[in-house]
Amino acid sequence: MGSQEEIIQVINLVKTYGNFTAVKGVEFQVHKGEVFGLLGPNGAGKTTTLEMLVGLRKPDQGTAIVGGFDITKELKKVKEVIGVQLQSTSLFELLSVEEILHLYASFYPNQVSIPTLIEEMLLGDKRKSRIKSLSGGQKQRLAIALALVHDPWIIFLDEPTTGLDPQARRTLWDIILLLKKKGKTIVLTTHYMDEAHVLCDRIAIMNQGELIALDTPSQLVKNLQSDSAVEFRFENESSEVELHEIEGVTKVGNQKDVFVLYTDDLQLTLTSLIEMASDQQLKLTDLQTRTATLEDVFLHMTGRRLREG
Amino acid sequence: MRAYWQLTLSQLRIFLRNRQVLFWTLAFPLFLMVIMGSFLGNGNGISLTIGVVDQDQSFQSKILITSLIDNKALTVQIEKSENKALNKLKKDDLQLVVVIPKGYDASLNSPPAKSAPYLLPVYFNETNIAVSQVGLQVVTNIVDGISKDMLDYHPVVVMDMKGVETLNLKYIDFLVPGIVAMMIMSNNMNGVAGQIAAWRERGILRRMQGTTLKASTFIAAQITARLVLNGLQALIVLGVGHLIFGVEVRGSWFTLISFVILGTLAFMAIGFIIAGIAKTPESAGPIAGFLSFPMLFLGGVFFPIKNMPEFLQPIVQILPIAHLSHALRETMNVGASFMSLGTEALILGGWLVGAFIIASYVFKWE
Repeated sequence: MGSQEEIIQVINLVKTYGNFTAVKGVEFQVHKGEVFGLLGPNGAGKTTTLEMLVGLRKPDQGTAIVGGFDITKELKKVKEVIGVQLQSTSLFELLSVEEILHLYASFYPNQVSIPTLIEEMLLGDKRKSRIKSLSGGQKQRLAIALALVHDPWIIFLDEPTTGLDPQARRTLWDIILLLKKKGKTIVLTTHYMDEAHVLCDRIAIMNQGELIALDTPSQLVKNLQSDSAVEFRFENESSEVELHEIEGVTKVGNQKDVFVLYTDDLQLTLTSLIEMASDQQLKLTDLQTRTATLEDVFLHMTGRRLREG
Repeated sequence: MRAYWQLTLSQLRIFLRNRQVLFWTLAFPLFLMVIMGSFLGNGNGISLTIGVVDQDQSFQSKILITSLIDNKALTVQIEKSENKALNKLKKDDLQLVVVIPKGYDASLNSPPAKSAPYLLPVYFNETNIAVSQVGLQVVTNIVDGISKDMLDYHPVVVMDMKGVETLNLKYIDFLVPGIVAMMIMSNNMNGVAGQIAAWRERGILRRMQGTTLKASTFIAAQITARLVLNGLQALIVLGVGHLIFGVEVRGSWFTLISFVILGTLAFMAIGFIIAGIAKTPESAGPIAGFLSFPMLFLGGVFFPIKNMPEFLQPIVQILPIAHLSHALRETMNVGASFMSLGTEALILGGWLVGAFIIASYVFKWE
């Protein structure tokens, strides 16, 4: 994977608001043709990072080379090769799907065939409908269509599936994978782990303005060095138990009253846990085991869950 | 260029599809015009109808009636009976009643020498003194003229009457240009401020900032679309004024349209300032209202500026609406040329340039 052409190079990006530093010197590269995920909870700085890359915010320090152009010096060239879908953008509600696509296409020197684009985004039967009348998923597909009107190489999607129902999310995933197949490079932010796992070739995890990990999803999970997780609660709250002493446990996490034990030896840990529970006369409830996921990686690295608000 | 046309077209589509806004922005000025025009339409011009009761039916009485009829300020109504005429006077159907008694002719033909002048009875309504005074003045002049003729009188000093071109202007002629000015102000200033602030809040402007679209193209398209819309609305208001109240455009359409354009640009620039200052679309409305409301009353839209109290005059004189409404009025009512309205054009131009400079400093995409 390392031999691929780097289409985006982010060099020490810093953004401060007053005395709050939203992005603290982030650096990474995006390869041509991959789906690159920026992951993190709200306020981690992923949207700010993305907005600097597309030229909506000026970095206070550092820069990035996007498609061969410097975002601080050749912004107009950058804008020609990138397509942007922003979080919570609303559009001119009184225009039709077709009209707004023609409008946005007119902003650029090049454009794709709009009827084809409408078909690809599954908006064929909504071609003449007013934007006002579209569903959430349709609006989001239109927002992506607007990012594609000028046939960009790189597409930035800021939380493309937030607020959509499961069905609409899956439709959107298919569209993103279709774009990848067509050779586009996609940079997306999300706080859904499953989404990142399905879509992304590589993931950068951000927390409090810093990049804390960057790897493929499977490698990130592997690095956790625990392939299984055991989750449970105690019926009577009792946190005085030394869970670290249970055999095979590499790491203990907890979220409110739910405990998570990470282990490489599921059987050993389970027997040991149950033994301890009966010794100390504690009642276990909601016990379940599963393989570790990106969610666990995140919890492991930051001590926070992705969507804890 | 393609972006400019597409944006203009889109903006016009948005205007036309926003039926409610379209209807009310047009309905309000039309409603005001019709209401105020109907109630106050004739209030300013004085119409004098005098009744004449000719009891003499002589050569001299005919001369007097002809002189009265010849005077353009009077509408003469011949009445059969004195009583009926006086009743009409009481009801205000007539403003004056002149009675020519029997023996008028004879009295005038008798040697005038030492006898006292003939007394011609003229009745007027005391409750309507202002109008009566004007009527009495007119009749006095006519009667005076007749006396002088009879005496073969050669005046030593005469007035050289130089009539200033006065048109028969009614309040509605004053009102319609004012309403057009008001419409230009509110649609542009309030309209731009509200729309731009709302688009910014909803992230529409930000999304466009993410494309290669230039701000100047966006603003140029905004201006074009609003000029088209305003031009049409002004034409509709003028059309209704013409059809219902017979208001005319006496000056050139070129001058009129030039001022409509100038006014639109000036108020749009002010609207862009408000959009820049307003933090939310909710605050844009009140700010625009704060500016437009006083202008409605002080700017010579409904009432002549002359009628404003002395201490307000300096303020009134710099308001852009005052100059816009004045220029429109001069063009429509008097037929003034563009050149003669240089001051108005200059002041509006000053507002336009000044407001645009400030607007470009305070304008924000997000």
